[in-house]
Parts: sequence; C-alpha cells; structure tokens
Amino acid sequence: MTTTACFIIVSRNDIPIYEAEVGSAAKREDAAQLPQFILQAALDIVQDLAWTTSAMFLKAIDKFNDLVVSVYVTADRTRFMLLLDSRSDDGIKSFFQEVHELYIKSLLNPLYLPGSRITS
Amino acid sequence: MADPASTPLGKMLLEEITPVVMVLCTPYVEESCLKNGLSLIQLLSPFCDFTNIDVPVRTASDQPYRLRKFKLRLFYSSDIRQPNLEVAKERLKKVITHVGEKNFLESSDPSQVNNLLSRPESEMLPSWFQFFNKELVRTLSFSDHEAFDHPVACLLVVSSKDDEPVNRFVDLFNTNKLPSLLNDGAMDPKIMKHYLLLHDNQDGPFNKATKLLADMRNAFGQNDCQIICFNSSQDGKIHHQDNPWAPFKSDALPTENLGGFLNLDDLNEIKDFMQELSSKHIIPYMEQKIRVLNQQVSATRKGFRNQIKNLWWRKGKEDTIDTPNGPVYTFNSIESQIRILGDYAFMLGDYELALSNYRLISTDYKLDKAWKRYAGVQEMMGLTYFLLDQSRKDAEYCMENAFNTYLKLGSAGRRNTTRCGLWWAEMLKTRDQLKEAATVYFRICGEDTLHSAVMLEQASFCYLLSKPPMLHKYGFHLVLSGDHYKKCDQIKHAIRTYRSAIPVYKGTTWSLIKDHVHFHIGQWYALLGMYDVAVTHMLEVLASTHQSKTTQELFLRDFLQIVQKTGKTFEVLKLQLPVINISSLKVIFEDQRTNASAAAARVKESLWRSLEEDIIPSSTARSNWLELQSKIMPRKYKESNICVAGEALKVDIEFKNPLQIPISVSSVSLMCELCANPEEDANSSNNEVQNNEDRTSTSSGDINSCLILSEVDFSLEGGETTVVQLTVTPRIEGILKIVGVKWKLSSAVVGLCNFEFNPVNRVVRGRRKQHSPSSDLKFLVIKSLPRLQGFIHSLPEKTYAGDLWPLVLELSNQSKSPVKNLKMKISNPRFLYAGNQKELNADFPACLKKKMNVEKSGRHANVNKTLQNLYHFPEDISVQEETSLSWPLWFHAAVPGNIPLYITIYYEMEGVSSIMKYRTLRMHYNLQVLPSLDVSFQLSTRPSRSQEFLLRMDVVNKTSSECFQVHQLSSVGQQWEISLLQPVDSILPSQSLFAGQSLSCFFMLKDRRRSSTSEDSIPSLSHIQSDVRLGPQDNSEAFFDVSSSPLADFHDCERSSRGMSSQGCEYKVDFVFITQLLKGNSDSSSNTPLVFSHHACDCSPSSMSPISWLVDGPRTIQHNFSAPPCEVNLKMTITNSSDAIASVHINTFDSPSSNNQLINDATTSQPPEHQSGWSEIPIVNDTKIITTEALTTRVPKSLSLESVPQFIWSGTSSTKLVLQPRSTAEIPLQICVFTPGIYDLSNYILNWNLTPVNDGENQGEANKSSGVCQGYPYYLSVLESNFKD
Repeated sequence: MTTTACFIIVSRNDIPIYEAEVGSAAKREDAAQLPQFILQAALDIVQDLAWTTSAMFLKAIDKFNDLVVSVYVTADRTRFMLLLDSRSDDGIKSFFQEVHELYIKSLLNPLYLPGSRITS
Repeated sequence: MADPASTPLGKMLLEEITPVVMVLCTPYVEESCLKNGLSLIQLLSPFCDFTNIDVPVRTASDQPYRLRKFKLRLFYSSDIRQPNLEVAKERLKKVITHVGEKNFLESSDPSQVNNLLSRPESEMLPSWFQFFNKELVRTLSFSDHEAFDHPVACLLVVSSKDDEPVNRFVDLFNTNKLPSLLNDGAMDPKIMKHYLLLHDNQDGPFNKATKLLADMRNAFGQNDCQIICFNSSQDGKIHHQDNPWAPFKSDALPTENLGGFLNLDDLNEIKDFMQELSSKHIIPYMEQKIRVLNQQVSATRKGFRNQIKNLWWRKGKEDTIDTPNGPVYTFNSIESQIRILGDYAFMLGDYELALSNYRLISTDYKLDKAWKRYAGVQEMMGLTYFLLDQSRKDAEYCMENAFNTYLKLGSAGRRNTTRCGLWWAEMLKTRDQLKEAATVYFRICGEDTLHSAVMLEQASFCYLLSKPPMLHKYGFHLVLSGDHYKKCDQIKHAIRTYRSAIPVYKGTTWSLIKDHVHFHIGQWYALLGMYDVAVTHMLEVLASTHQSKTTQELFLRDFLQIVQKTGKTFEVLKLQLPVINISSLKVIFEDQRTNASAAAARVKESLWRSLEEDIIPSSTARSNWLELQSKIMPRKYKESNICVAGEALKVDIEFKNPLQIPISVSSVSLMCELCANPEEDANSSNNEVQNNEDRTSTSSGDINSCLILSEVDFSLEGGETTVVQLTVTPRIEGILKIVGVKWKLSSAVVGLCNFEFNPVNRVVRGRRKQHSPSSDLKFLVIKSLPRLQGFIHSLPEKTYAGDLWPLVLELSNQSKSPVKNLKMKISNPRFLYAGNQKELNADFPACLKKKMNVEKSGRHANVNKTLQNLYHFPEDISVQEETSLSWPLWFHAAVPGNIPLYITIYYEMEGVSSIMKYRTLRMHYNLQVLPSLDVSFQLSTRPSRSQEFLLRMDVVNKTSSECFQVHQLSSVGQQWEISLLQPVDSILPSQSLFAGQSLSCFFMLKDRRRSSTSEDSIPSLSHIQSDVRLGPQDNSEAFFDVSSSPLADFHDCERSSRGMSSQGCEYKVDFVFITQLLKGNSDSSSNTPLVFSHHACDCSPSSMSPISWLVDGPRTIQHNFSAPPCEVNLKMTITNSSDAIASVHINTFDSPSSNNQLINDATTSQPPEHQSGWSEIPIVNDTKIITTEALTTRVPKSLSLESVPQFIWSGTSSTKLVLQPRSTAEIPLQICVFTPGIYDLSNYILNWNLTPVNDGENQGEANKSSGVCQGYPYYLSVLESNFKD
C-alpha cells in the first residue's frame, strides 16, 4: 500500500515555515501542489476549532477524498499539519509531540527568528 | 427565521412543485398563436402564476383554509415524459457555455480579498447559479416514482378553424398520443379534462365560434367547455409596456413584438380563463381527489388493525418480488395513492396532511426495499418539514437520508442525488449553515465533471459567505472547480474561477499554490489565444526557485512558447529572470579622475583623495572651478556628474539566475537618454524643460549615432551569479541619463529594469553629500578631452623581498592636444621611486655600481621629494598629442606581504575645456612580495675598546628554492669603518646562500668619527671602507653605491617609514646588505642578475650607555701572603662620549648579597627602555625582553662564580666625579687581597647622571639622562710567591 504524507509547519501568520513530503507513493509532478492546497484550506477549520478545545492535538479535522488532515496547535499558534491517507490517531499524536519538542528546540536557538523558515 | 415560503428554497418549491396541466392542441391553434411569436403554452404561461388567488380550500380536515399562492405548470403532452438525458446535458452545457462567454467578457478582477468581501452578497454570487440549479432540477421532472409532476388536468384546445372541432377534441385525447406515464399505468389515465375553443378574430366572425361552443357544451358538458377569442388587434402593432412573455421566452429573439396582435381585452380574457380554470376546476378537483383518497387510505391503512394487516401482508410479499428497483406500483396500488395524496396535499399547501401521508408511505417503501421511492418520499418529507418550519433536525435528517439512499442506488439515482443535494444545500443556506451547505455541494460532485464544477464553485461561494469567511476553502474550491471546468473544456470558466482565486492567494508564501494558479491561468489564456494576458501570468511563475528542476524547465518552456506565439518581442518591465541585484549597481565614470585599469576604479575614493590631496589644485582653485561651472551650466545640472564625450561610462551590475536550469541572456545593454546640452537656453527653467523634452524626442532618432552601447551575452548556470560590466559612450555633448538596463532572455523576451527609484551605490563620487538617486545617473557630457593612459612595464606581480629593479612608466596621449605640468604621487615610496630621465636607458645593474667620479650633489634635493611621495616631472616635460612618454621608475620590494601600490599622475590640459583644467590618472597595482632573506644585525661594544664594536650579522634564506649570492655589506654614512673579522671564504665558501641556509658573520665596526676626534686625523680617503665585499674576494667588480640614487633614496624611505629621522646619530648604524640572485633562476627571465638589497636601520650596541669605562691594571700579581695583605692598584678610565656633563658615581661592594640587592633595585627602578639595545624593526618589545633577561641571568652567574669574596675594596667605597662633555677621567682604585686565587673584580656599579648642556639638541641622548652599569669582569690572578721572604 502506498502512503502519502505531507507535513507542514505553519507559522502564526499562515506562512509555511517548514515543509516535508514523505511517503512511498510516487510523486506526481502535476499534483505537487495538492497537499498544499488541502492543508491551506484546512487552516480555516483550524481557526475555528482551535478556540473550542484546550487540547493541542486537534485530531483529524478535515478530509479531502481519502486524505485526512491532522493538526496540532502549539501555544504560539504555530500549527503542525499532517496530511495522511491513513489514520491512526495515537501514532499521529506521538509524532506531533515529538515534533513539538524539536520545534521548541529550534525556537530556543538564539539565532532563530520566530516565524522564519526552518531549514534543516 | 422568516416564513419558509419566502426563502429562496421556499419560492423554488412553490414554483416547481405545482399541479401540472397537460395541454393538447391542434396545429391550427399553434398557428394562430405563432402570429404573436408565441406558442400556446408560452401564451398562457404568464397567467398561470397567481400570487393572490384567495381560494378557500378544504382538504381532509373539515376546517377550510385559504390558498394564497397558486401556480399551474403547463406542458404539451409530448413533453410529459422523462426528458432525454443527453439533450438535457447538452442544454445545461449550453447554458454554462453561454454564461461563461458572457461572464468572461465582463469579468472584472477583484484585486483584494477585502474588496471581495465588501461587495454585497447578491453581486458576489453569480445569478446564473439559480438558473442552472433550476434547469438541473427540471431534468428530473416526470419521474415515475414521484407524483407531483403527474398531470392533474388536461387542457384540450381546438381552434375554431378546425373542421368539426368536437371530433377533434375526441381525437386529441387519443391514448396513442398520450404520454407513457398515463399509458404504462404509473398514472391514472382518468384525469380531469377541460375543453377550450380558441377563436382567432382575424380568421372570421365570432358567431361561428359561439355556435361551435354550443356544440361542445352539448358533447362534453356545460362546465368544461370554454371559448377564448384573441388576436383582436388587426395590425399587430400593439406594444406591451412590460411584456409578460419576456421571461418565458428562452431564446434570444427580440421580445418587442411578442403578443403584437393581442389587445388588452384579449389579455384579460386569457387571464380570466386561467383564473377560472384553476379556481373553479383544478383546485376543487384536487380537493375532491384528496378527500376521496384520504378516505380510502384511512379505510385500508389507518387504524391498528390495518397496520398489523399491512405488516403481515408485506412480510409475506417479501420473498416473491426482488427486482433491483423494488416492486412496481401501479396507480391504483395503495402506495401510489398515498403518494398522490401526499403530493396533492403538498401542492395545495396542506403540509400536515402531506407529511402524515409521506410518513406512512415511507415505512412501506422501506419494507419493500423500494429505495428510489423511499428516497423520494424522504426528500419530500424533508421539504415538508422545511416548509412547516418545525423540526430542523428532522428536515436535515430526512434530506440526508434521501441523499444517501439515492447515492446507494448508484448511477440510477445520480441525478436524483443531485437534485436532493441541491435542495438540501439550499435548505442549509437558508438557515445560514453555509459551511454544511458547502460540504453538501461538495458531495454532489459526481461523475459529471461539468456539474461538479458548478457545484464546487457554488460550494466555494458558500465558504466565502460564511461567517467568518473561510477564504482558504473558498480559494481551494474555486481551484478545484476550475480544474473540473478545464476537464470539460470550459476554459473561460476555468480562467474565471482561477482568477477569482488569485486575490486569496495573493502575497501568500504557499509558493506551490501560487505557481499552480498562475501557471494554469497563463496556459489557459494561451489556449484561448490571449497571449498578452497569458504572458503576464506566466511571468509570475518564472522565477520560482523552490520548484523542482523539471517544473522550472516546464515553466520556462511554456513561457517561451507563449511568447513565441505572440509573434512579437515582449518588453517586460519587471522580468524576474535573471534577478538583478540593484544594490550591486556600480557606476564608474571618469571626470577629471581617470583610471588606468579596472582595478584602479575599484579602489576606494577616499584613498585616492588622500593621495591626491597635495597635487590637485587647492581649494581656491576648486572654488574657481565651481564658479566657472555654475556660470556655464544651469543650476539644475550643476550637481550632475561630469563625463567626457568619447569616454566610456562603465556600469557594473550583478545578474543572478535563481533557477536550477541554465538560462541564456543576450544583448544586455544599458538604456540611456542623451539630449543635447541646453547650455544656450539656460535662463528660464520652463523653457529649458520644454526644450529638453523636444530634444530628447528628436535626438532619440539618431541616438545610435550619439551613444555607443555595449552589448553583452552570457549564459547562467543554475544558481549562478555573474557581474556584468556594461558601457555607454556618449559621443556628443549634452546630458546623459542612464535609465536602466535591458536584456533578452532566451532571445525571446526583453526584460527591462529601471534604475530610476533605486538607491545607487556610487563608487567614484563621494564628495557631495545628498542627492536624489536619479541625479546620480545623470551626467553632463562635456567636450572630448585628452586622456592619458598609463602603464608600468614589466612590473612583476610576484617577487622576493629586497628586489631592486628598474621599471618604465609609459604615459601615452591619444588625443589631439598636449598635456603638461605632470606630477606623480606614489602611495608607497618604499616600493616605487621615480628616477631621472637619463636613467632610462642606463645599464642595470651596472648603473648602481660605484663610479670613481661620483658627484653627490643631487641627493639632498631628492630627499625632499621622497618625503612627500611626490614627484614633479621637470617643467619642460609634456606629453604631446598622439605620443607617449617613458619615464624610469625604481622598484624595490621593501617588505614581504601583499602590497597595494597606488600611483596617481596629475596633468593639465591647455585651453581645451573651461570646465576641466586638469585630470588625474590613477594606477593601481597589487604586488605579492615573498620573504627572501631575513637579515638581522647585532651590535655589541667591545669592552676593551670603546670605539670599536662587534657586529654580528645573521642571514637566513627563507625562500624555498632560490639561491642568493651574497655580495656586499655596506654601512650608510661615512663615519663607520667596517671590516671582516675572518675571511668570508671560511664561513661561506660558495658565497651563495641556498634555500633555508643561514649564515652568521662577524664584523668589526669602528667609529671613525670618534677616532678622528681622538686622533685628529683627516678622514678624507677612507670612506671606501664603509663597504665590505662578501662575494668572491678576487672579483674586481665594483661595489654597489649605497650613497647614491636609487639605493640611497630607498634607504631614506626605509628610515622614514620606520619613523626615524634621516639624520644618523652616533652609535646608530644603518646597514645595507646586498645580494644577487643569479641569472638562469626560475623567476628571472632576464639575463641580468637580480639585485636584492636589505636595509637595516639604527643598529646600536645593546646596553650602550654614553659612559664607557675601562679598568686597567696588572693582570697577574705574585705576592707573599705571609706579608701584610696584598694591595693592588687599579686604574679606571671613564669616558663620557655624550654632549652633556655627566656625573658618575662608582660604588663598590664587598658583599655579594648587597650587590645583588642593589642590582635588582636598579633593574626594577630603571625604565626598561634604557636597556634596549639596537632595534632593527620597529617592534621593540621582543628585543627588550630578551636583553633584560640576558641581564638578569648574567648577574646571578657572575655572583655564583665567586660565592665568597676573597678581597675587599680598599679606599673609598663610593667615588663621585663630574665629567665634562666628551672628556675622559681616570680614577685610581685599590683592592686588598688576602689569599691567592683568581678574582673577578666586577662587583661594582657605575651610576651615571647626565646633565644636559644648554638645550636638548639631541633627543635620544637627552632622554637617556641616567643609568646604572654593572661592572664587567676583570680577572686578576694573585699567586703565592715563596721564593723570597
């Protein structure tokens, strides 16, 4: 089974600061923008949902066809968005927590300007 | 919420779910109707809609109510069947295409998201959606599972022209022609019939018609027959104010002539007829039918018994029929009747009754697994709930249920799904649940991409209108919709949707999205042939650095294709490819400052200015020059830069390729404007501007002849950055303005970039404070001037330190007029020195050699020049037109390192230009000087002879491969006599130093001046001895003359650069060590050996003091120690060599501890500077530390030799005396020795103090006003003499 996964960190100003595409599915040149589209569209829903819950992990909040968007919102309203075609909430949650730790580490870097692009 | 009936959905339902009247008519009827341009149905339709019919209705209940709104739908019998799918699709497609064309032309782009939201809702939502939805719903009419499209009544129309109208009526209702619905048993064929006789007044008198009516009444009954007379107007010119038929005419025919033959009476007649038909016939008929059906239903299905029976019966039936579409129900089955009852009740507005019946039937259908019917009923239930405005949840649940059930049916229920979804979404929209509505729209999307596209677009608008607006979703769905449109070739729609998505994505950093949108819009515009617009969109994606290589290639290729298709070369103002680094813009121009090479132009202006300070005319001259300039030029141009006609202006600019793929850029050139000099009309500014503009336009024609622009072609690899130098050469006088740069990308697109509003990093001019940037790019072109070109021949780039070499400076004047008054300044006179003209052809290195008849007159004149680094060419030297001047220069690589050399040459022109009187030529060279020999000298006093010094020279060859031949060592000046201590052959048999080899030599140095004062001899002939030959002794080669130019000059430079005065002072010696690099070595291509000179300045003996002394006395004494202690008399000769009076204090110590103590005190109290010996390099610290260490280590050693003093100083332990300047005194000293042995008589110190006479004429001496000297060893052997008592 091929899986596609796209992970994007979106800053509080809705600017993507980190993008990564993983997954075994062959990358189609003509659909490269699709994950971006889906994730960006999901921002609207995050906007609504973020205020309704105190949890950082918002679970799967949006889907497009069989692709599911899971979102994790940090305290500074940075959003980790993961686009997956299979769902396993626990795995995603632990993934997000790990990413959160790494993100905080990069925030602690005195040379990193919050909101700027993360390169690694 | 408002009345559900007044919501869009309510209105739609009240319009669409209304009784259907089947119309049957003869051809004559149609014919007479067509006179008005209308068919019969079109003629009647406007009068079928009753907004206030006000009819009392009594349905199942006993309580009557009044019906306000009522509408009849008229259909020809031939139309009463399920519409052809393909035709319907085709029609929808046409609708969309039509709308697409229309909207495309009038589309105006909302540029901002805010604008998008601020517009009123109605304007935002395209109106054609409603229309489209209606059409879409209509494709589903007359389905067999729903009863509301089944005709309620039948209207039979016969024209009075027909033969035997009564028979025609019978023929009309012939079963063969009736729609299949009535024939296949889905519908009751016994429907209400109404007979209408249509009389055309143009065809004949009315009475014939009345007769026919009577016949009809006899045949069909009194009430069911009626007559309408129309076409009363004869001329057909009646113009209806607000044409009632216009909305019913679908095609685009002109509507003015519609109903031209109908006068007001006709209209009223038709209207009355329709009213009567509905109120007197159709509604009562429906009421009656409802009541009848209701009774039947109550009898069979209501009540406990019936329900149980029904269940039982259905269970039994279950296994018998199992068709995929469920059981077939005929019109007289109870299920159909219930459905009819419900639909009739719905149409008459009795929603409660309708709902109860729908509920009843839905369970039945469900049990029967008649899913389509079940879904239809659920749908109706949802709508009924909605119209009742009771339970929203129920309504939604029903709609969803219906939707899902339809969906389960697959393709069969596809269109029903669509309709159901549309209603559902409409319902949600009515309740402001826009988000949910959008998801419903999204779910409607199915196989039919065109419909999906429209649905997606509607969904996007739902997101836009939701509160708060969900712009991202809006954009996303627009893009999705655009994709679908594209798939069914609705390119205009696709472009429209994409373009409306642009404001959402404007300024976003989601780059892939942005590229996708712009790229596709561009592509699609290209498909439509609108290449201009396509190009603008393609431009947006050109410089997409984040895309993959293939995508970048695709973008570029498509872009170039589109550009090619346009058939012209595009000029794009802000072409992103390649990227121009505006801040890298450097303008290099030459006014009075000219550069010999590009390297010189890159040197900082301040450096040049400091160099030129002395040689360019002083400030008074400059102000004159400014005045002059302001007189000539208008104020406006006073501040512009000056350049000279015929001389190129250079502009450096950086191009960067942001992509990963190579791009080729060609014809890069500057854009310039040159207008003739407005010198003459400088008086009024208005005039001037006017004229300027005129001139600009006129001169633009022959701009090619006035300007020479360079063109550069290059190609950039992925990510490459390149700096391009562009030049423009004005050929006539005037004002030159550099406007921008233009280039050609892949020889297809011309990119332009204006420098206008960008700050320019100006290099050359730094003098003026603040200017508008545009003035920096504006130049006043003045008449062509002579311009010197300079070049230094054979200046090596890489050399070894110490290299001495003659060079030739060549100045050439290409112009027609001579220049004169040349001056030259060299930044680093240690390296370069201007020679005399007569040295030009001198033989090197022979010219350096000593000649017998040397005259040394010119030397001091030279010294002055060198100090200022300034060289005045002789007055009579000028560079004539089209000639060149060569001038010798001496080069000496003084210190190793990377050495920049700046040379600036000043010259004056004569009478050529009033603006510019002089110019400077700047030359810049970089030298790499490698270390060669490291020469150090150490000078120490010879203890015994105060006028003689021991000189130790250490030479290390630091090169890796070169072999130097030592030649000579010379001391500068005539007061020192130098001689070898041992023949050089013994130290260095080969006379050459190989790589890495070191050499130490000892020399004796004699202060001849001092000896002369003591001896009073004449020092005339002995100055030759200031040189020592180190080379082959038998060589008769002459010495290099260190006291004449250029060696002497360079030596002076050395001295001055080390911060020493040129006056040599006593005890300080300067040495010049000269070696030769033999010919045939790798570096030297010439045959003559290279001469290297190393200069050492101000060598002075370590711990040298102005006071020197000598202890003199017997060295060996024989003494009989049985006798009284032996007394030894010594004599100390103290010499004061300074010009001051010295007071000397001699302390002697017997105990070593006190001695030690005092020494320590002395060393600490003494300022360390006074102990410093010679210094070869300015860094004094190292040597100083070494000497102090040497001193302190020496002290304990000397003490340890002699742990217990075996002698005492007899006589005074302290002697004081005053010494006159340059005098000598003798002091007697005496010691007492008690035992035989060898004694070191060094335990005394000399404290001396200088009292300067009159003024401190000699600074160095005056500083050294006091000091402490440790006694030096004097060994005395005392022997026991036994031979005699």
